Amino acid sequence: MKPARFAYHSPRSVDETIGLLSQFGDEGKVLAGGQSLIPLLALRLARFENLVDLRRAAGLTGITQDDGAVRIGAMTTHTAVHRSEILARAVPLLPRAAAFIGHLAIRNRGTIGGALAHADPAAEFPAVALALDAELEVAGPAGTRRVPAHGFFISTYVSALEPDEVLVAVRFPAWTGDCGFAVKEYARRRGDYAMAGVVCGVQLRDERIERSSIAFIGLGGTPVRAAAAEALITGTAPGELDPAEVARAAVEGLDAAGDMHVTAGQRTRMARSLVRHALDDAIAEATGHG
Amino acid sequence: MADEMQVEMTVNGEVRSATVEPRRTLADFLREDCGLTGTHLGCEHGVCGACTVLLEGQAVRSCLVFAVQADGCGVRTIEGLSPSDGSLSGVQEAFRTEHALQCGFCTPGFVVAVTALLEANPDPDDEEIRDALSGNLCRCTGYQGILAAAGRAAGSRRGVQA
Amino acid sequence: MTAARLVGQSIARREDPRLLAGRGRYVADITVPGMLHAAFVRSDIARGTILRLDVTEARSAPGVHAVYTAAELNPMVHETWWYMAGRDATYPPRFCLAEADVRFVGEPVAIVVAESRALAEDAAELVELDIEPLTALVDPDVARADTVNLVHPEIGTNCPQVMPAPDDPELDAIFARAAHTVTARFTQHRYAAVPMETRGIIAHWDRYGEQLVIWAGTQSAHEVRGFYARLLGLPENNIRVFSPDVGGGFGLKVMTMRDEWAVVMSSVRLGVPVKWIEDRRENLIASAHGRDDLMGLEAAFDADGVLLALRADHVENVGAYPYAGTASAGALVGMCLSGPYRVGRTGYGNTAVYTNTLGRAPYRGPFLMETVGPEQLMDVAARQLGLDPLELRRRSVITDTDLPYTLPSGLVYDSVTPAETLEQAAKVIDYEGFRREQSAARDAGRLTGIGISLCVEPSAISFGALGTEAAVLRMEPSGKVNLVLGSSDTGMSVATTTAQVVADQLGCAIEDITVTQGDTTLTPYGGGTQGSRSAVLYGNVAVLVAGKLRAKLLAIAAHALEVSPDDLEISSGSVSVKGDALAALPFSSIAELALVGHDLLPPGMEPGLEVSHRFKPLPITFCNACHMCTVEVDRESGLVKILRYVVSEDCGVMINPKIVEGQIFGGVLQGIGGVLYEHAAYDDAGNPLASTFVDYLVPTAAEAPVIECAHIASGAANPLGVKGVGEGGAVASPAAVFNAVADALAPLGVELRSTPLGPGQILAAIEAAGWS
Repeated sequence: MKPARFAYHSPRSVDETIGLLSQFGDEGKVLAGGQSLIPLLALRLARFENLVDLRRAAGLTGITQDDGAVRIGAMTTHTAVHRSEILARAVPLLPRAAAFIGHLAIRNRGTIGGALAHADPAAEFPAVALALDAELEVAGPAGTRRVPAHGFFISTYVSALEPDEVLVAVRFPAWTGDCGFAVKEYARRRGDYAMAGVVCGVQLRDERIERSSIAFIGLGGTPVRAAAAEALITGTAPGELDPAEVARAAVEGLDAAGDMHVTAGQRTRMARSLVRHALDDAIAEATGHG
Repeated sequence: MADEMQVEMTVNGEVRSATVEPRRTLADFLREDCGLTGTHLGCEHGVCGACTVLLEGQAVRSCLVFAVQADGCGVRTIEGLSPSDGSLSGVQEAFRTEHALQCGFCTPGFVVAVTALLEANPDPDDEEIRDALSGNLCRCTGYQGILAAAGRAAGSRRGVQA
Repeated sequence: MTAARLVGQSIARREDPRLLAGRGRYVADITVPGMLHAAFVRSDIARGTILRLDVTEARSAPGVHAVYTAAELNPMVHETWWYMAGRDATYPPRFCLAEADVRFVGEPVAIVVAESRALAEDAAELVELDIEPLTALVDPDVARADTVNLVHPEIGTNCPQVMPAPDDPELDAIFARAAHTVTARFTQHRYAAVPMETRGIIAHWDRYGEQLVIWAGTQSAHEVRGFYARLLGLPENNIRVFSPDVGGGFGLKVMTMRDEWAVVMSSVRLGVPVKWIEDRRENLIASAHGRDDLMGLEAAFDADGVLLALRADHVENVGAYPYAGTASAGALVGMCLSGPYRVGRTGYGNTAVYTNTLGRAPYRGPFLMETVGPEQLMDVAARQLGLDPLELRRRSVITDTDLPYTLPSGLVYDSVTPAETLEQAAKVIDYEGFRREQSAARDAGRLTGIGISLCVEPSAISFGALGTEAAVLRMEPSGKVNLVLGSSDTGMSVATTTAQVVADQLGCAIEDITVTQGDTTLTPYGGGTQGSRSAVLYGNVAVLVAGKLRAKLLAIAAHALEVSPDDLEISSGSVSVKGDALAALPFSSIAELALVGHDLLPPGMEPGLEVSHRFKPLPITFCNACHMCTVEVDRESGLVKILRYVVSEDCGVMINPKIVEGQIFGGVLQGIGGVLYEHAAYDDAGNPLASTFVDYLVPTAAEAPVIECAHIASGAANPLGVKGVGEGGAVASPAAVFNAVADALAPLGVELRSTPLGPGQILAAIEAAGWS
């Protein structure tokens, strides 16, 4: 299976990239790691007249920390995220989620920018970005804008990026204090897309949950934040939590889909179990610090 | 073809170049333009791992990289992992000892994957080996010999008597 | 026979160094000067009428040399039939490309031949194909009852084979008076061989030499040659077929298929080589599938739980174009139904059903329902009778005092060891220990289970064209030896194992032996590698032909050394007088006598050192195994983890134990994959749902259990004492996994009756039993 023909461009800068994308419109597509795009092209499920490769565009790599946030260049590979010591300290949910992405050979090429821009609700990083209120730095002809994660994922494979825009970096605020994080998935085989997944973070202060985030992988057209469950949790002491009630609240209103592997109902019930496991682990980690 | 481009990369230590369409994968560049047919195509959509090569020292699925994306890079294939005197590398010898291959089609991908694993993690435990090799499919061996070979190769690197 | 030196040793394979270094040469790696590349236009509708097929634009696309449809290729077809089924079997209509209608998604409609695969695919997109959909027949129960909507109107029925169980009042009486009868209907879903190398073929009609040369990824080069001779009306000896390195077959690569015919005929029309490498999507939806059976079983037991009689009704969904004939395994399943048990009487009925889905080809142990059905029923019976499944089997299993045992079907087991394997597997897995652990686990709310699958397998089935194999053994002037076999190896280590046999028989170093196979011009006619026949056929013909050469070597040496052949011995490639190492002739000297100094040969002896032999084994060589596995089922996710997997197997003498185990390991993973992960599913309209590896889930190293393999070696009625082992792992494993999951879920009142057992099915079964 060979892809349809395309013209290939390798701009040296973000500005040059934007210029090309503006020129090509719908006939142009950004190529980052290619691990999601190239299979689609090979199967001829998608085709573009022009691919704009970001590999030589300057300023898109690097993981830096400044005043409470970590900024990750869009072309940072999943492997680099997985191995980053900065992230292990400041945004542990990211390296832990990276471990679930496919296999090593995929992680060596796939990029966080590509994963976020691809907006696949079954992927890990969109859920983490949503859970941690990340900010996405988007560059376009009019300049750079910052899009909060909750406004970035529009629907399956549709992000807030315009055809002439490119994602250049993503910023994650660092949580401080007694925190705990967990990523839990049910997948049929190691490395498969999860049938259902949960990313979770809790932050304790004075033995109460000061902040929590719960977001779902694969339970809708976009990653979904379990806001109602988070509301139940916030302000509560871990020992006072009714995990079953929290899990029920978390999946309330979820619009999961069925496929050849599991039904929508089964997926939702899996999500409920995963919320409990994720919360248990996150709280255990958070209280372990105390 | 008007849309063809010149690519040049170092493959197994040798500079190789060709004029290719941008849609030419790295796998096809290696197989067709470089005549290095040891890298195999089992699915062409990035799941089976038979096409695994080392790109800038990292294991990648060469069917999910276009040749133009590897322009200027260093690539090592199964042919480059084999000693030039015809002997077998430590990993290859371990595969042979443990009967880790039957039809041989998935084998180059696995050898590259195990080589990459041990270069990054010389002392993996069983779970780490399984995890690292879960991205390569085999239908003949049931993985038993392959897992044993990876363990044996790790053991030899540790200097432990296997 | 000589003392075993290498036979029985797990020596390293001779195939390995080359393959490990990336110097394998598979069809995709072969380049023939002037070669063009093919791609196909295929139906995306399961059943429908072709309203319009316009290839005009495709024909003038860049790099295109030809686009062929039924109009050009189908008239070139003379005859189509395959050795395994024979000329007169019931076949669906046989033609190369779809003509007036399509009958399954993936059916080839047009072939594009161009300068590269990419250009061929570009052009294929320009072919205009309009199909008016008709109602597709997908469910075999529906298809068999439908007399109006016919998959093949030419045949007049959707059931090409109906073998009702014969009236049997005696059998009825046994059931009527039995203390217990147990009934269950099982569905075994559809899955597929999925070798890591897809199919591939290069055809070169050499119009100067008027010879057709084919490189095929096949398990039988001779079958390919014979088929194309008949297809094209060419003399068989005008066709040369090579099977180079082949990346796995498992039955998929035995029969030629319609798209391959199109490649060959395109080469004939164009007069240039044409290459086609199947892509993975085509392999998953347009090559062939396996399994897909429904079996209703009934077993009669006496008051002590002894099995008295067994009845089965078997429905096989063979798709639209089965390979070959009806692709039914019914005859074998019916004959072997009683399996490892003493059973007074059996009854068997069979229906093969066409549907508008991909056709079936034999897949590793195509007769496996003879084990899957009864073994799954035995566990149902154990639960109903209140007996442990191991104990229930003990009461009816064939023991050595029963041998030779005549089955209800009339077949005879001469030498099998099911009771011994049952006990050995139970011991290795510590069956009693597991039951105690299971009890504690259940108290803690965990779902663990153990499953048994006891199997007697008909290996090396040797009827008709598969009934014999020949070998030629030649000593060169240097004393080196060349063994020539009609095999086409696809990973089963024919070169290593036969060389071990010859080295032992001749008394020479294994390095001095080359094995030539996979070339129809150089090798004697043979059925190829399939049906667990390689050790029995190729192993034995190797030992026999080597015995002939050994005798001639000794005769020449005896005459030259002026002793009797009985005074001679051979070691390290040299013939010497016993007790006098100086009176010796190395093989090279004997070869010199045979080929150069032939005036000194014994009077009347034919010069030279080339011998041949053709071997015919018993029609069936029965082998047996017991698989046991333990699992844990996660209630929340429906995911299954295999805890331990134990095999106790008896394949007689093992030429190379690690190679034997490798065959078993691969088969076991295919059974695990089949039950827990793989599903060649269709929707109601006949669209395949698993068209890539994203949805067709092959188990990885992370899902593979450690497989513990123990051996028993009973005798076998052939010179080497070997039995077949290629399919056994895949035949016995599905029921072991199924039974373990069923055992794990039994406390919840779940009764499983079908596969696959993916998380969706397990969660649904748990919910259906009243748990949420």
